[in-house]
Amino acid sequence: MRDIHARLKQRHHLGQFERQRPGLAFFTVPREYLRGLLLDLRDKEGFSHLVLLTAVDWMEEGLFQLTYMLNNRAEDVTFGIRVMLDRDEAEGDSIHDLWPTAETYQRELKEMFGINFPGSPRIDDEFILEGWTDLPPYRRDFDSLAYSQQTYAERPGRVTHDPREHMKQKLYPDGV
Amino acid sequence: MGLREVLTPFTVWKRVFDEPVTIKDPIGRPGADRYRGFHQNDMDKCIGCGTCETICQNAAIDMVPIEGVEPEKGDSGLRPQIDYGRCCWCALCVDVCMTGSLTMSNEYTWVDTDPDKFRFIPGIDGDWKDDVAGYEREGQRVLSGVERIHMEEMEPEARICNFDEIVAGYTREEAVLEADRCVECGLCVATCPAHMSIPDYIAAVRDQDYDRGLQLLYETNPFSEVCGRVCTHKCESSCAALHEGDPIAIRWLKRHIIDEVPFDRRIELIGQPVEPNGRKVAIIGAGPAGLTAAFDLARAGTSVVVYEALEHAGGMMRYGIPEYRLPYDALDRDIGVIQAMGVEIKTSCRVGRDVMMEDLQRENDAVVLAIGLHMGRSTRVPGTDGPGVEKAVDLLRRITDGEEVPVPEQLVVIGGGNVAMDIARSMARLQKAKYGEVGITLTALEDIDHFLADPEEVVESREEGVEIFDARGPQEVMRDASGAVTGLRTWRVKSIFDAEGRFAPAYDESDERVHAGTMVIEAIGQAADTSLLGEALTEALEWNRGRIRIDDAFRTSEPWLFAAGDAVKGPDVITAVADGHRVARTVMEEFSARQVMQ
Ligand SMILES: Cc1cc2nc3c(=O)[nH]c(=O)nc-3n(C[C@H](O)[C@H](O)[C@H](O)COP(=O)(O)OP(=O)(O)OC[C@H]3O[C@@H](n4cnc5c(N)ncnc54)[C@H](O)[C@@H]3O)c2cc1C
Ligand code: SF4
Ligand code: SF4
Ligand code: SF4
Repeated sequence: MRDIHARLKQRHHLGQFERQRPGLAFFTVPREYLRGLLLDLRDKEGFSHLVLLTAVDWMEEGLFQLTYMLNNRAEDVTFGIRVMLDRDEAEGDSIHDLWPTAETYQRELKEMFGINFPGSPRIDDEFILEGWTDLPPYRRDFDSLAYSQQTYAERPGRVTHDPREHMKQKLYPDGV
Repeated sequence: MGLREVLTPFTVWKRVFDEPVTIKDPIGRPGADRYRGFHQNDMDKCIGCGTCETICQNAAIDMVPIEGVEPEKGDSGLRPQIDYGRCCWCALCVDVCMTGSLTMSNEYTWVDTDPDKFRFIPGIDGDWKDDVAGYEREGQRVLSGVERIHMEEMEPEARICNFDEIVAGYTREEAVLEADRCVECGLCVATCPAHMSIPDYIAAVRDQDYDRGLQLLYETNPFSEVCGRVCTHKCESSCAALHEGDPIAIRWLKRHIIDEVPFDRRIELIGQPVEPNGRKVAIIGAGPAGLTAAFDLARAGTSVVVYEALEHAGGMMRYGIPEYRLPYDALDRDIGVIQAMGVEIKTSCRVGRDVMMEDLQRENDAVVLAIGLHMGRSTRVPGTDGPGVEKAVDLLRRITDGEEVPVPEQLVVIGGGNVAMDIARSMARLQKAKYGEVGITLTALEDIDHFLADPEEVVESREEGVEIFDARGPQEVMRDASGAVTGLRTWRVKSIFDAEGRFAPAYDESDERVHAGTMVIEAIGQAADTSLLGEALTEALEWNRGRIRIDDAFRTSEPWLFAAGDAVKGPDVITAVADGHRVARTVMEEFSARQVMQ
């Protein structure tokens, strides 16, 4: 795998090779070099299978990370390719024309992270959330607890107890 | 019901004529082995910390009392109840659980028409309660740190030739990392004798808000410099984090807060006492009990004078605890804040000699006795009378006072508690300075696994060259013809208590040893010197096994006299602080009651 990386490094401005385990390695590539790299990998290096496309929210750094997992079935090796996007812009480049399945992943990322892929078919259709009006729920600034409290009714009769207060009442009600 | 709940279904209405994808009675296909199904909870292992409730993003968990599970040290007695109308089976609660008690079965089908049935207490309810298959967190807990942030300490070679403070204290970065490990459950609060707001001040460290931290400390403890260094830290033994890692370094975090706030700022933050209320209280003894009471009373507007026999205030915090554990300037800052509240401390003024009890009774509205335990006890084995045999507390006091104490090349300490360690390690430092070598033998009745001293004290004593002989009972202080001490004769201890649990050591007389040394130091306990009371008062007071009898509110049998601290309770600084607060409260309640009567 190292040799493939070395071969493509210069042309596509690849970041450092990070071996995870035998048959699995990661590296980062600038957004503008992604497409050329994917084409080379698919057509010249045998990485014909897009295993998945997913994202990570690096909120503090102001970045979204896209991760493209590409597999070479014959060699049973996988590359994880990372692309960092500006979190405010939240826009990636569609690859649905390279792998049709990318369309589904991109729709999911649009819905769950709010990352747009202009030109991707049905990109604005609802994916699994229906009637969603809040922040995309996989963004880390989405407050799941507040959302569920606002959205779902509480069954009547629920009572909770604070451990510290409960112990005080039972063990030292007088405060000493 | 929220607006959203009413509206959201409309978007689903387009499916109203579709074939349903759900079926009424599931087909009974078992979940995969690690499927996340209904929860299970090991009721004995769970400590009711509520961390599962805190992390649940669906507010599905309530902490509820359980019949037959009472709160006790380190266990709130509460247990999680889960509402499956909300649970999304994410297993965050299982992943964060502080004890590993919470797991999930692989059971996922359950049919009932009563929605309330789906709110239940795992571990009590549920047919899958004891199922083995299902989801468990694997390996070490990863959601909160398992290891305590290391505390920098002086190496033995560097510390043995001086009385410099051994423990360095955390940097801000270290403190934040340590504070981050706390889950703010509050289980520790009940264990702290003063019930300090531990999770709140730890949160203040995490938020880097030292002003707030300091205010929280002072709500319950005016001796945080002291306690942040030498507290017996029993709270840490009930910390939720200890079940799967190191307990939070509560004591060091307290010290960190106080280290970060300059002296003048402390006084500013605490603010000035309220208007004078015209009452006068005399306090006897400037240890933590007396000074805490003085602090509270002064802040409530009472005029307080503390009478202290020794040259400086602080009691055993100054005259017992050695400087390498508690530097005098740290103690002085705590006392300085108390004085800044208007408390007057009359030092070198022994009640019973320089001022009489009757005078204090006459001139004050109340008198608080907080005289501690300052008379060393003796083993009274043959040979203890005469020169060459010392009491640990007397020597420690003389070292604090800067007096010249006799430092022989080889000496023997009797006792296995912290006081014994303190005197052994203090003498070791003096020997090192004088001879370049340590020559100390320490003998104790207990075997090493049952030593009363803290384990760190035992380790550090050994590092400093103290030789420890455990399970040895003193029989005689050996003297030569001239009467000079030559050593201590001991027998091996077979047992310390008899069948009824009374102190009655049994020895193996065939296992005898003589530990050489020209001085023997007894460190086996202290008693209160109550001679200040005088005959009439001693006669009038009620006693309880040699101690003045007090009630729950620290009243003695005389309506004007109150007592607190080691002399009536003990055993440590934080308990003395808690006593000080309580006795001050009683005195103030007494004043209000008298006012009503007038
Ligand atoms: C060697 C040693 C080490 C210890 N180490 C620790 C430790 O690491 N951590 C911990 O938490 N606790 C420790 N303790 C225990 C702790 O110091 C005491 O529990 C605490 O100081 C008790 O407080 P107090 O106010 O009741 O009494 P004290 O601190 O003993 O204060 C009583 C004061 O009353 C004064 N007094 C007595 N009689 C008179 C009189 N007639 N007139 C005027 N004044 C009088 C005394 O001089 C003294 O200053 C240690 C004790 C010793 C002896
Ligand atoms: S986190 Fe674990 S130990 Fe704490 S209350 Fe919940 S189930 Fe019990
Ligand atoms: S599984 Fe998730 S949603 Fe369910 S109780 Fe646990 S934390 Fe809450
Ligand atoms: S210090 Fe320990 S017991 Fe106390 S609140 Fe923090 S985690 Fe809970």
